Amino acid sequence: MQRLYDSVEPRVMDEDMLKLAVGEQGPQEEAGQLARQEGILFKDVLSLRLDFQNILRIDSLWQFENLRKLQLDNNIIEKIEGLEHLVHLVWLDLSFNNIEAIEGLDTLVNLEDLSLFNNRISKIDSLDALVKLQVLSLGNNQIGNMMNIIYLRQFKDLRTLSLSGNPIAESEDYKMFIYAYLPDLVYLDFRRIDDHMKDLAGSKHQYGIDELKHREHLIQARLDDERARQEELKKHKVAFVEHLNGSFLFDSMYAEDVEGNKLASLPGVGELLQAYKDKFVIICLNIFEYGLKQQEKRKLELDTFNECIQEAIQENQEQGKRRIAKFEEKHLLSLNAIREESDLTNIEIKIVEYGEDITELFNVLMTLEMQLVEQLEETINMFERNITDLVALFIENVQSLMAQCRDLENHHHEKLLEISINTLERIVKGELDEDLPDDVRALFVDKDTIVNAVGASHDIHLLKIDNREDELVTRTNSWCTHLVDTIHKDEIMRNRRRVKEINQYIDHMQNELDNLECSDVID
Amino acid sequence: MEVLKEKVEEEEEAEREEAAERGEKMMRPVEMRREEPPMTQEMLRDLEKKLSEIEIVIPEQPSIITKDTFDISKLPLSYQSNTLKEEHLLQVADNFARQYNHLCPDRVPLFLHPLNECEVPKFVSTTIRPTLMPYPELYNWDSCAQFVSDFLSMVPLPDPLQPPSYLYSPTAVLTHQKGNCFDFSTLLCSLLLGAGYDAYCVNGYGSQDLCQMDLTRDVCPLTMKHKEVVQEEEKVPPKKYAIKPPRDLSSRFEQEQEMKKQQEIKVEEEKRRKEEEQRLLEVEKARIDPLHGLRVHAWVLVLSGKREVPESFFIDPFTGRSYSTRDDHFLGIESLWNHKNYWVNMQDCWNGCKDLVFDLGDPVRWEYLLLGTDKAHLSVAEDEEDRMNDDEDVENLGKEDEDKSFDMPSSWVEKIEISPEVFETRCPNGKKVIQYKRAKLEKWAPYLNSNGLVCRLTTYEDLECTKTLEIKEWYQNREDMLELKHINKSTGLNIDYFKPGHPQALRVHSYKSMQPEMDRVMEFYETARVDGLIKREETPKTMTEYYQGRTDFLSYRHVDFGDRVKKLALNSAESNPRPMVKITERFSRNPEKPADEDVAERVFLTPEERIQVRYHCWDDRITASKREFLRRAEVDSKGNKIIMTPDMCISFEVEPTEHTKKLLYQYEAMMKLKNEEKLSRHQAWESELEVLEILKLREEEEEVHALTISIYDTKRNEKSKEYREAMLQVPPRDPPQALPSSCQSLLA
Repeated sequence: MQRLYDSVEPRVMDEDMLKLAVGEQGPQEEAGQLARQEGILFKDVLSLRLDFQNILRIDSLWQFENLRKLQLDNNIIEKIEGLEHLVHLVWLDLSFNNIEAIEGLDTLVNLEDLSLFNNRISKIDSLDALVKLQVLSLGNNQIGNMMNIIYLRQFKDLRTLSLSGNPIAESEDYKMFIYAYLPDLVYLDFRRIDDHMKDLAGSKHQYGIDELKHREHLIQARLDDERARQEELKKHKVAFVEHLNGSFLFDSMYAEDVEGNKLASLPGVGELLQAYKDKFVIICLNIFEYGLKQQEKRKLELDTFNECIQEAIQENQEQGKRRIAKFEEKHLLSLNAIREESDLTNIEIKIVEYGEDITELFNVLMTLEMQLVEQLEETINMFERNITDLVALFIENVQSLMAQCRDLENHHHEKLLEISINTLERIVKGELDEDLPDDVRALFVDKDTIVNAVGASHDIHLLKIDNREDELVTRTNSWCTHLVDTIHKDEIMRNRRRVKEINQYIDHMQNELDNLECSDVID
Repeated sequence: MEVLKEKVEEEEEAEREEAAERGEKMMRPVEMRREEPPMTQEMLRDLEKKLSEIEIVIPEQPSIITKDTFDISKLPLSYQSNTLKEEHLLQVADNFARQYNHLCPDRVPLFLHPLNECEVPKFVSTTIRPTLMPYPELYNWDSCAQFVSDFLSMVPLPDPLQPPSYLYSPTAVLTHQKGNCFDFSTLLCSLLLGAGYDAYCVNGYGSQDLCQMDLTRDVCPLTMKHKEVVQEEEKVPPKKYAIKPPRDLSSRFEQEQEMKKQQEIKVEEEKRRKEEEQRLLEVEKARIDPLHGLRVHAWVLVLSGKREVPESFFIDPFTGRSYSTRDDHFLGIESLWNHKNYWVNMQDCWNGCKDLVFDLGDPVRWEYLLLGTDKAHLSVAEDEEDRMNDDEDVENLGKEDEDKSFDMPSSWVEKIEISPEVFETRCPNGKKVIQYKRAKLEKWAPYLNSNGLVCRLTTYEDLECTKTLEIKEWYQNREDMLELKHINKSTGLNIDYFKPGHPQALRVHSYKSMQPEMDRVMEFYETARVDGLIKREETPKTMTEYYQGRTDFLSYRHVDFGDRVKKLALNSAESNPRPMVKITERFSRNPEKPADEDVAERVFLTPEERIQVRYHCWDDRITASKREFLRRAEVDSKGNKIIMTPDMCISFEVEPTEHTKKLLYQYEAMMKLKNEEKLSRHQAWESELEVLEILKLREEEEEVHALTISIYDTKRNEKSKEYREAMLQVPPRDPPQALPSSCQSLLA
């Protein structure tokens, strides 16, 4: 069914067309009257039907932010586009168009029902974002490859699929293949799938499925592994001690150290290096474990603090709510009393009384709030002191451990220098038996060169250690400052919100009273 | 044990004398017994002769059970005669009694071998027949004692100052369903021993109330209120960052003054209350019993140790109640026995039973009749004493060797059997009445009353029991599941309690009259109802309903009714419902909706066409949004109908949003509420109908009061009976061979 371009005039999706559609499909009768009176904003529209409009290009839909259902069937659309902003879309109908490829659906994560019936699609893809997809209609298209079915395995919620009218539907194995490879499917081509048939298909395609499953399983397992590793690393990062639970730092020291690597081949240096590495790694592990422990401590501290603050706020809110409830009870009574009172002077007295009540409520609520602010401020300050102390202690201890690393490095450096000079002396004396590689031998020309080489290696090592330490200290400190800042800011925000809320409420009450007065005066 | 007061009041010399006498007492029996063993026939005969001389002639009492009521000849042989061993035991007992009499001449003769129903003397221990009953109710002491007290009707002792001369077998007592305190105790002791308790029959002295089973001065246990155990909440240690409370600015001096004033008032009240109590006590004070301390009674002692009994206690067999061993009602103990041995109390009972030590292994406190029972010399503390009296120990050793060969013969009584019918009927004729202080308790066997009544407790205002205060009636096996009916005479309030299973899921129904539209409260088993209704309260003008667990989160509905509009047609509640003036509905929080859209309370004021809606409060807010809709059908100046104007909806929003200000939104909200109002009114109307229906049903049930009969009850259930009979007629298949072999394997 291909409509000819020439026979119809393509229309443009413009403001007028949309307005017309919205007006027609909007509320009817009395509500419709109201709607017309007020006008309907596009962003309030939940459902829109634009069928048989000869639309060639999807356009101007960006205002319909909250659209849930969109029907664009029976047009002459050639490309799926302009739907990026309709993220709440649940139902999309694009059947009976001239679409050739599935595209432009990457933002529609809430889509559950997609109809692309009677188009010119030849390949199923670009649907990855549609994780909630339940119904997919792809009948009367040009899908020819059975492997497209396997792509659909990733949609766990897919229950209904139609593919009739495609080249693949003519294949003998078509139904069996789908039954087997999409076992969660309930309806195929608008017919319920027989359980018996499903079993049959399953056994028929047993091998293929098993293989596929195995592959999927492997991929899944790898993904899981990766995710677990990432989690672990994240946890370590939060404790500021990532990559310290091994020889990572040590390895990184030697990664850019050309001379050090060269010198490692000297006799005796191998053992020395090994011993050095062992000791170094032990210290790193110490830092790592200490970091995790401290992290636990900080977390506990923060949790306790949050819990206490929440409790205090909750308690305060309850008090406020009670006050308001009490006031509202009285409020109803006094409003009625004022309404029923006939004597003007009495009315005035009552109004004044009521006004006083409102003021009193305001005072009470504000007092409560100010009290809470004071209490919280004190607690927050205490917490700030404690957390700063904790962080300072942590940094101090880590620094002392780092200093141990540096000592080790210095020690190693001295030893290495000694060995180097000894080697140099022996080379000079010609006593060296072993063969040294040429580039290493090149270092042993005179004392300065070798000392410089060893020194350079030492400097690189120290630099690495310093960098790691700096990083840790900076990040810890910045975390601490950030935390304290956020807490202060949150508290200020909370306070402002509450004050605003109270004022709003009191204003409302006062307004009500004023209105009453006005109407009384008019009466 | 002699309890004569003169003795206690005597001077020190006399006391010393008594002490010396006691020492003798301890020594002599042992010496005597040592001489005993080489007993020949002649000696026996001699003894018998002597005994017949010594024996105090007990005045012939009219027996409780008249002779013609049962045929002695049909009783088994063990009832009609004594075996050789029993004869021997009687001789030992007589010997013991003689020595005892000799040593303690001023004590009452021991209650050792009264006559049984066949006029044969039987030793008291052999009358106890430990039996475990097949009824689970009889496994615990409390229900067991209750059963004995219900099952037998009480006959006073022929002579209140002496133990009876007859003690019938428990089987005879069970058949006649009556007995004196000794019969009661023997039966109860048999059952308790069978159930594994360390129980003893006690012969002693009790208060008049106890001996005559007079409970009129006791508060009925059913009227006593359970003391609610107040669980003290554990004080949570203040957390590290707990906020400090705001400074207390009130004056401490003023507080103290206030406290003082309160204290004074309290003291005053306390004083007044005490005086009142005193006055009441005086009114209730019993007349003084001239025979106080002399009335013979028998009861049961349960010692701690077995069956996880933590502390020794007494059971009064008449009432089945337990008492502490220090209770005022028990004034002294002469002796006690179980199926194995007999002990005589050697402790002074001047202070009732309060100072008695129930360490039966202690020969100073308890003189035993037979040696070699399981009550060995227990207490470690006594070791020292034992060592001091070394010579006595040696004598004891000799005695042990001689007497070890003799232990208590087995009981002469047939196995105690209670048929299920009799067990169910419980009380003689299935009815029992107990008079308590200001209360009367009546009990019936199940199915005895056609309306299922099993128990009725009437409480009175005054001691003479003339003014009824309230009546509580317990029912069983009712088809309408009625369990308890509570009628308060002073307020006229009736409360019916139902077990789960009433057709309308009724749980509690309290009312003053069965007329509709009156004060009443109905509570329901909410899980059994589709609408989750818990409670419905009614007054003449209102109806309040409480719900739980509904999908629409409705938790409360209150309806105010107006006056009924007069109609020409006949007025009945069904055809002309009262107009509803106001409907208030409350909802619990629906966590899926934002608080601003989740209605907390809505009030429909029907005559004013006003709808008030209050929404839930956000978690971090203290104010909630409100909306009030006021619909007036008006026309504007041009004659067009006004659909919606801004003044029809007054709203307060905590977080103002754009779209809620629109008239369309408000109009739609109002329309929705209008529809819901109709629905609510319909539901309220249905509730009214339901009340009428329930009332009708209740009346019918009260009239019919059908009882249910379990299909397992083959006696009453006709169908089951037929089925069972049919089953019995079918010849049973040959007994499975596996059973004996399995038994063998078990034995092996």
